[in-house]
Amino acid sequence: MPLSVDERWNLIEKISKQTVEFGARKHTLKDAIAELTVKPLTGIPVAIAVLYGIWSFFVDFAGTLFTDGFMVRLFDEHWLPFLQNAFHNNLDNWAYRLFIDAGHIENGVLVASDNCLEAFGVLTSGFFVPFGVVLWAVLAFYLMFALLEDVGYLPRLAVLVDTVLHKIGLHGYAIVPTFLSLGCNVPGVTATRALETRKQRFLMITLLSVFVPCGAQIGIMQDLVPELMGWIFLTLAIGYLGFGFILNKIVPGKSPEIIMDVPPYRMPMMKNIVSKLWVRTSRFLLVAVPFVLLGCLIVGLMYLTGAMDWLATVLGPFLMSWFGVPEETVSPLIAGFLRKDLAVGMLGGLMEQGIMTTFQVFTSVVLLCIYFPCLATFALMLKEENWKEFLGSIASLVAMVLVYGGLIHLVGIMLEVA
Amino acid sequence: MNELEEKFGQIYFAVLGAVALAFGAAELIASAGEGLTWGILDSSGAADPMFLPWRAIILLSVGFFYLSSVKNFAEIHQLAKAVLGSIMIWIVAGMAIWSRIASSIPGEETWFNSLEGFLASYAPPYCPEMFLLPFSLVIVYYILKEREEEAEGLSYRGKAR
Repeated sequence: MPLSVDERWNLIEKISKQTVEFGARKHTLKDAIAELTVKPLTGIPVAIAVLYGIWSFFVDFAGTLFTDGFMVRLFDEHWLPFLQNAFHNNLDNWAYRLFIDAGHIENGVLVASDNCLEAFGVLTSGFFVPFGVVLWAVLAFYLMFALLEDVGYLPRLAVLVDTVLHKIGLHGYAIVPTFLSLGCNVPGVTATRALETRKQRFLMITLLSVFVPCGAQIGIMQDLVPELMGWIFLTLAIGYLGFGFILNKIVPGKSPEIIMDVPPYRMPMMKNIVSKLWVRTSRFLLVAVPFVLLGCLIVGLMYLTGAMDWLATVLGPFLMSWFGVPEETVSPLIAGFLRKDLAVGMLGGLMEQGIMTTFQVFTSVVLLCIYFPCLATFALMLKEENWKEFLGSIASLVAMVLVYGGLIHLVGIMLEVA
Repeated sequence: MNELEEKFGQIYFAVLGAVALAFGAAELIASAGEGLTWGILDSSGAADPMFLPWRAIILLSVGFFYLSSVKNFAEIHQLAKAVLGSIMIWIVAGMAIWSRIASSIPGEETWFNSLEGFLASYAPPYCPEMFLLPFSLVIVYYILKEREEEAEGLSYRGKAR
């Protein structure tokens, strides 16, 4: 006859009393530190310092050292001019505009681009975005993530945020998919399999795909609008918690408690870190690079055929009145279906042309984060959720972007910055 | 740890805690404006204005950690607070050093920086955490001492579990 849960626990207790000898155990300094890092009063300041460390490392490794230090020079001063010269700067040729440089209008004249982010060719922006910016951002993020995992800090962070995440129907372990998504949403969505109930998985996937920007996107945002990053993250965090709270109330299902195994702090092993980095980064590149190239190709074709102008004319009035962003934002929004990093990069071109105010840049970047997951994440959602959940996620996405996007515009109007 | 070491630890970390609190308060005040540079001390917010208040909160916490560790300093949980305070300083100061390393390698006009440019990247002013860094290293002595005693099973002063 099968035992009930209570009977099973009683049996475990009886066996352990007969077989295990309990004695006084010395509390070591490592134990005391481990305890302090899960208590809110001491754990939260430590978490703030750890997050500061991650962010500072990310900014200086990906931004200052690799992207600004070497990659911008390599692509803008060598790769782009090389291709432009090799193909005689032929802006009249459609293939040239598609693969090398789409050019841009200055005083009514089509002129050549002087950087890879604006060129928007498959061989220029298509390579610069994944290899010049995104690779270093993702590498920096996954390095930090692997270190936190192997040191044993991540489970403690999970314990620390458990109470907050319970308010949105999740538990502390949801910090793992959230953190993973900060690298790439695809493994983040896959990691939701560790959550117990379908309700928790639905909540997590929906919140991840809307409010958690991937490392690629963060890298480009940091490059374009470093001064707005704090506000962008604050807006996304408010949305994550606010809409999580609402979804938890609306969505039926259970959000059970879990018992987490918290390992002791350990010295990370270089071999493990390197192999994790290799697996995660190579998988990311395999997913990202084809989509960036495809994105450049599709957006380029849409420009050449006039489809982009038509869409801008049709959607422009709605974008302007509801979200307060100019009609030109429509092209990044379309590119964002394929790769959001690419789309944020396109905003950089609009900023340089002086089309947008600072608040419009802020709204556009937030909108790009929340309006829809990239194609790879979208495909994975389709795989991970059943049809009912998938349609629910899409309906939630649409509702969230309309409400939150409109709210941001409203706040801008009230503060007289929109 | 013997009584002398405990007494020294109490006084040392009380003073260091007070200094960290003062630095934290100064950074918090500076963050209300556009930062502050005073002699070789720099409290400015780099590219992101959120860095400065973030750092200020960490420094204030370090101050509280050190000060709250002073009473019964030899007790393992109290010592752990001082260790955590030091770790927090190492994170922030370490990142400030890393930031200088990252910006010192690429050159303005050339691929790599000149020797003069490279060395100039490490010139003052420095952020408050970098000034606190060498002083926070004293905790390493206490960590090693504690490890030694743990290995020998000597002065266990924490509660038994």
